Amino acid sequence: MITLLQFISVAAILGVTIVIAWLLAPYVTGVFTGKSSPLDRLFGPLERAVYRILGVDPQRGMGWKEYFFAGLFVNVAQMALAAVILTFQGSLPLNPMGFKGLSWDLTFNTVISFATNTNLQHYAGEATLSYLSQMTAIQFLQFTSAATGICMGVAFVRGFVAGSKDLGNFYVDFTRSITRILIPFCLVAAVILVFLGVPQTISGYRAVTTVEGAAQSILVGPVASLVAIMQLGTNGGGYYGANSAYPFMNPNPQSNILEIALMLLLPTVLVFVFGQMLGKKKETIPILVGAYALFGIDLAIAFIPAAPQGAGIETRIGGFYSVFWTVVTTAVTTGSVNTTLSAMHPLVILSAFMGMLIQSTPGGKGVGLMYMVMYVVITLFVVGLMSGRTPEYLGMKITGRDVKLVMIAFLVHPLIILIPTVVAYAGGFAQAVGVGTNSVGFTQVLYEFTSAAANNGSDFLGTAANTPFFNVATAVVIFLGRYVPIGVLLALSGSMLGRKRNPEAGLKTDGLLFSAVLVGSILILVVLTFLPFLAIGPILAYLQGHVNFFG
Amino acid sequence: MDKDNKAGSKGRGWVRPVVGVALLSMLVCGLAFPLLVTGVAQALFPYQANGEVATLNGQAVGSYLIDNSFTLPYFFHARPANESASGVDPDITLQEAYSQIPGIANATGIPSSQLTGLVQKNEEGVFWIFGTPYVDVLKLNLALIAMDPAYYQSRVPALSGS
Repeated sequence: MITLLQFISVAAILGVTIVIAWLLAPYVTGVFTGKSSPLDRLFGPLERAVYRILGVDPQRGMGWKEYFFAGLFVNVAQMALAAVILTFQGSLPLNPMGFKGLSWDLTFNTVISFATNTNLQHYAGEATLSYLSQMTAIQFLQFTSAATGICMGVAFVRGFVAGSKDLGNFYVDFTRSITRILIPFCLVAAVILVFLGVPQTISGYRAVTTVEGAAQSILVGPVASLVAIMQLGTNGGGYYGANSAYPFMNPNPQSNILEIALMLLLPTVLVFVFGQMLGKKKETIPILVGAYALFGIDLAIAFIPAAPQGAGIETRIGGFYSVFWTVVTTAVTTGSVNTTLSAMHPLVILSAFMGMLIQSTPGGKGVGLMYMVMYVVITLFVVGLMSGRTPEYLGMKITGRDVKLVMIAFLVHPLIILIPTVVAYAGGFAQAVGVGTNSVGFTQVLYEFTSAAANNGSDFLGTAANTPFFNVATAVVIFLGRYVPIGVLLALSGSMLGRKRNPEAGLKTDGLLFSAVLVGSILILVVLTFLPFLAIGPILAYLQGHVNFFG
Repeated sequence: MDKDNKAGSKGRGWVRPVVGVALLSMLVCGLAFPLLVTGVAQALFPYQANGEVATLNGQAVGSYLIDNSFTLPYFFHARPANESASGVDPDITLQEAYSQIPGIANATGIPSSQLTGLVQKNEEGVFWIFGTPYVDVLKLNLALIAMDPAYYQSRVPALSGS
């Protein structure tokens, strides 16, 4: 249970973040609607130069297929570049610690994991990656995957905007997300993080002799630039193996709160951007209320047990903020951790599962919004069935094909979580890395694949999962979990272009009543789908009286 | 990536933007941005940017953010490495600090009341309604040394010049 003061502090952090997101939303909307801005004089020439180099006509719009495959191919090319850096880092510059290149399967896992905004890590950065790799493989992919997510979300929304003829131009959206959103926002965040104590240097680890005369290495590096994009871009991959529990990534309670806000910021901004791009600001209501009501339920579940103390908890962060962070990082599919997940109570882990299974509370930036609209369409379909009326959204009829598409997008998720979880046990791969065949072990393996499928990236196994099976299996799950739903939902959006609208028709979706129905239907859908697996994982662990997951 | 030769000019049409945007984004996001932040950070906040290095008699002895591994009886101690999530937690709770005071008072002869005062003076972590109180062990021990330099002179390698 939490105290009144703790409740107020959570409400204050969330409230301030939502207000800042609301204030930033018109700017972000303008970036994608091409609204002229005083910043054009700064960014305009730069962007035009980029389009010239790429040979891209910025005025030319794309259909859903061209947009999606442009994004996919660009991502694959970026994976390939990062793979070269990781494989050959031993012979490349900016490697003062002399780290060797990565194995093929770890490279495969790492580039897919980072290019898809997942950031599941089967390595500990401080003992594995050169400065060059941390920058031109890791931070590079953290930026581009965040930009890709934003692009896909924005293109998706365009399909629903009345009068849209296409979904936009991927290269233009991608360039502008980086120049006008991610780099300026991350620069501000990184400088504040340095001020709060996060290092930023490329001069190598510092050797010192401690007060008592022992040798110690101070593992500094270009950390702040990474933390800024990993949190703002809802990536979550850490500079260090211990992620945001490592003091250099999260030095004090101030940085802890800032990083929580950074994680929530862009997903929440995009919720407002949705209504603004549609020209119907009230349509943001069900998306925002749906996201934050479900997030509130997750928080309520996580705060039922007493906050953990002692083992696995960083002193400066404390148990309460460790739990709060764990719920946030899974609700926005960031996956950074400021604690040891094993120190968490089964109900906190259950809440983390809810965030990763729903994926839109408010979810990863761009993608979380797509999922929430998917739930809206499913809800309208179900309500339509019950009332015997043709379902309609924004005045457009929802067809049989639309429903098929959203069902595919929804069902991919359980398939790619449940099948590999079963294979991991049936093939003995889970047991081989020391995971138990009990509720605690099952929770850890289920979590691994849920985190991979949701492109979250937090995990129990960490470097223990650096085996060919887990590296390849999670990489495949990550890839499918990222691109199949995005592709299918873009197809849905593409088919909305030019569809006949009857503004008077259909159920009103821009009010609190529909928001409540939406929350209920999401809970029923997700809980029904995953209940058997959650039941023999975290729920069983809870019923057996476990208070944490230390094996 | 092999749409092969079926659509010659169209094929070239998408290779250039795909490869171009991948390379450009790598240079801008992976190289220019972190180097820009490094420049700004080193210019504005060099102390933080280099890891908040603590010095004793002008010598670097560690970082305030990383556990300094104290083991001697006349110092405050952090938790054993594996009890925290990072393994390098530099801080302890006030209760942990207070519980160590009798031992330190015993070993050093410094009165408990002075040690309690020292812990209170070094308390940090709470601001407005946020945060949780703690003390940084390295800060605390450096303050301890400053309190009685003569006593610690012979007992601290960093001071005795060994």
